[in-house]
Amino acid sequence: MLGELINPYYLQVASFILINVILGISIYITLSTGQLSLANAGFMGVGAYTSALLTLNFDFPILIGILAGTLMAGLFGIIIGIPTLRLQGVYLAIVTLGFGEVLRVILVNWESLTKGSIGLSGIPHLGREILRTFKELGFNPGVMGLQNNQFIFLMVFLLLLFIVIGIIWFFKRQNRSRIGRAFAAIKLDEKAAESMGINITYYKVLAFTQGALLSGFAGALYAHVLAYISPADFAYHRAVEILIFAVFGGSEVIWGPVFGALFLTVMPEVLRFISEYRYMIYGLIILVMMAVRPQGLIDVHLLNWMKLKTKKRGKEHGTANQKSA
Amino acid sequence: MLIEQLINGITLGSIYAIVALGFTLVFGVLGIINMAHGEIFMFGAFIGVIVTSTFKGPLWLAFAAAILVTGIMGYLLERFALRPLRNKQGVSHLAPLISTIGVSILLENLSHHLFGAGNHPFNNTFAEISFQIGSITVYLVQIVIFMISVILMYTLSYWLGKTKAGKALRATAENLETASLLGVDTKKTITMTVIIASAMGGIAGILVGMAFNSVTPQMGLSIGLKGLAIIILGGMGNVKGAMAGGLILGLAETFIVVYGNSGYRDAIAFAAIIVILLVRPQGLFGQKISA
Repeated sequence: MLGELINPYYLQVASFILINVILGISIYITLSTGQLSLANAGFMGVGAYTSALLTLNFDFPILIGILAGTLMAGLFGIIIGIPTLRLQGVYLAIVTLGFGEVLRVILVNWESLTKGSIGLSGIPHLGREILRTFKELGFNPGVMGLQNNQFIFLMVFLLLLFIVIGIIWFFKRQNRSRIGRAFAAIKLDEKAAESMGINITYYKVLAFTQGALLSGFAGALYAHVLAYISPADFAYHRAVEILIFAVFGGSEVIWGPVFGALFLTVMPEVLRFISEYRYMIYGLIILVMMAVRPQGLIDVHLLNWMKLKTKKRGKEHGTANQKSA
Repeated sequence: MLIEQLINGITLGSIYAIVALGFTLVFGVLGIINMAHGEIFMFGAFIGVIVTSTFKGPLWLAFAAAILVTGIMGYLLERFALRPLRNKQGVSHLAPLISTIGVSILLENLSHHLFGAGNHPFNNTFAEISFQIGSITVYLVQIVIFMISVILMYTLSYWLGKTKAGKALRATAENLETASLLGVDTKKTITMTVIIASAMGGIAGILVGMAFNSVTPQMGLSIGLKGLAIIILGGMGNVKGAMAGGLILGLAETFIVVYGNSGYRDAIAFAAIIVILLVRPQGLFGQKISA
């Protein structure tokens, strides 16, 4: 019964959606202080390569690999964040773009370690490791009526879903905390925020590092879900793709990039003929969104409006409609 | 050997400089980084390939066609990507940057579909002309490229500094509202600036096609990124700085290929600007905005 419902392909797509959601949130965090960073693709690469190399060459468990990849990306975030966050707007965008480019060149050229542009293959797969652990514990997916393959992708999906929900919950909480309010103040007006006693450098580096940690984490997950990475996966196009999640979905509220990542990952899968023109459509979307709705599809007003709608419907059930009519 | 490399470096640097001039002009007036400039440059190169290889047309026609097409692209860019964002309340200052990123990936992938992903040779007898000075071979094309870049730089400096249109442009750069109160047609000025900058990109595209005999859809991105690095290196909005920055980068890249590890060539530009921004954020040629 369950076995017929579960299609590994759909689960694989769903897993990539969730990884993209994490990436979308990572750029949302830096944007929430008004900084445009295009380094997230690079941080993703740092996370992916760190974790892949540790698990491939030193037989570290995947969990340790992912943790190390995340922390390594965070470390890069601090190292790059502290000096560059003195820079304003466009300078920061260019330098972070440059970081990605330098990283790509290093990954391509350091062949003894990274195998150059061929990339790393045979990276331990997250799902298979989970399956092995379960089997060692004496559990057989056959009990649930699942084939090994289905079980693997199901577990990966559930794990990622759990992680993403945790991340969204965390950042929603953070937005209501002192830190979140400081971010919002800096985004509105740096000078005013500073004169109110907010340590803007600290909060900007914090946001930048949080973004780096998240991208590194997403990168490490990406490496262990796909089992293959190459430098091209983390180049300029990835940076633009991450950016467009936030531009399209919206960068004011966390649901914006979540929706953006979801929609833009599903779209090329559902409409196959689109996937050939995918980047052209991305370009058009950016262009149109900036001209028509620069804050993205989902913004605070839309969310408030939706809340109002559902509340009214729940309480008065129909009378509200009569009033308005 | 050394002198030949020096000449190669100056040729490369001159092309970088012309690309960077396009960036500088737009940044100087609008305060916008035009991320689509590299792709417009790439289209210029493709127009050159089509005119000379496909239609067997003469070289001057290739230049004329490239200038025309990239000029039109510049107009469209201004009309559809930049103008809607101007004078709009509550738009982040990053919006035009993001919008031109959109144009850049649109154009890059459009050229993939139009011209294919492969490498296009630039067949031209003009590029073969060379002469010997002692033991050194110099290609005529290299001299032409250098001359064109110097001429463009001086024309641009003169035009910005001395002519009425140039003064209008600087006034617009200084303050849009005041300039328009004083009778400058700012809309026209801005449109003209973007068109001129794009046409210069088109010229650079053909020169690259001639010098390296290869045109691909990816070249826009890599040259565009370097152009960005150069204007930071030379100081944003600084015409002479862009020229000097271009030459420095061209020479540095040529010499690292000869004496160092050629694989790291593409990283120099950004390694340099990361250092520059930390040590001397206003760029090597320090004034704030001279254009």
